[in-house]
Amino acid sequence: MSSKFERLNDDEFRIVLTTQEAQVLMNLLEQLLELLGEPSIAEPDPLFNLLGLNGNETPPDDPVLRRLLPNAYQDEKEASEFRRYTEDGLREKKRANAHLIYQALAPSEEEWSADQPLERATIELSIKLVDVASWLSSLNDLRLALAVRLGIGDKEGTDSSSEGKARYELATESDPMKAVYAVYSWLGWLQQSLLEAIE
Amino acid sequence: MAQSTLTDSETEIDLKPDRPWICVVWDDPVNLMTYVTHVFMVVLGYSKEKAHELMLKVHNEGRATVSSGTREEMERDVQRLHEYGLWATIQRADEL
Repeated sequence: MSSKFERLNDDEFRIVLTTQEAQVLMNLLEQLLELLGEPSIAEPDPLFNLLGLNGNETPPDDPVLRRLLPNAYQDEKEASEFRRYTEDGLREKKRANAHLIYQALAPSEEEWSADQPLERATIELSIKLVDVASWLSSLNDLRLALAVRLGIGDKEGTDSSSEGKARYELATESDPMKAVYAVYSWLGWLQQSLLEAIE
Repeated sequence: MAQSTLTDSETEIDLKPDRPWICVVWDDPVNLMTYVTHVFMVVLGYSKEKAHELMLKVHNEGRATVSSGTREEMERDVQRLHEYGLWATIQRADEL
């Protein structure tokens, strides 16, 4: 079983991850950052942003992005209007959260500049209380993204989370989605352990 | 002498205050129950008991009204809930 978050003191938490686990997280975060992309124009004009002249009005095409950046109103016209003013900010917030975790996982300059190849079995992370919200949100964004790709929650009115569980636990080892499901479960486990540590 | 009368539409002044708006959170099979409770505490400032109760309502009934107020206030709540990955929407209270 993977290690979990522990509280060190009032302001700090720690977790020890294997380099493999850290690598999995980094790969997922890279994909999330790529998906969230850059703001809708390269050099945003603050005045234009203030007036909401640059933002997207239509929901994203990618189902993962539609889940991460959902409509705020059921009425399409009102949803578009709200999206135009807020979507860039929401993307930016999610990117900042993902960057924060990525930076914490990335090997330090010293480790890279050493002559020897990078050899470490584990990585110990120390997380400040102020950064906990970013960790929780970004772990959640990764879970939401994987859930969409896994098709969890596709069917309305069914207990689709246990349905997904059954589907992937019965899958054969060669089914690539089984590995994705294992990562999805692990992320939930990590998130839960952080929630317990901050209690 | 013809007495001029104002029609209803001319005399009626809309003094109705801005209708209260509400923020609704929808059930989602992905978000952990403990996480949803935590987010309600952090974003909406609710006690653990109230947050837990609302989370259960979302889980059992498929949706729950989690806050109400002016449109601006509700848009702020929804924006924050979206940052945390909850599925939240805004609507007029009388559309419930």
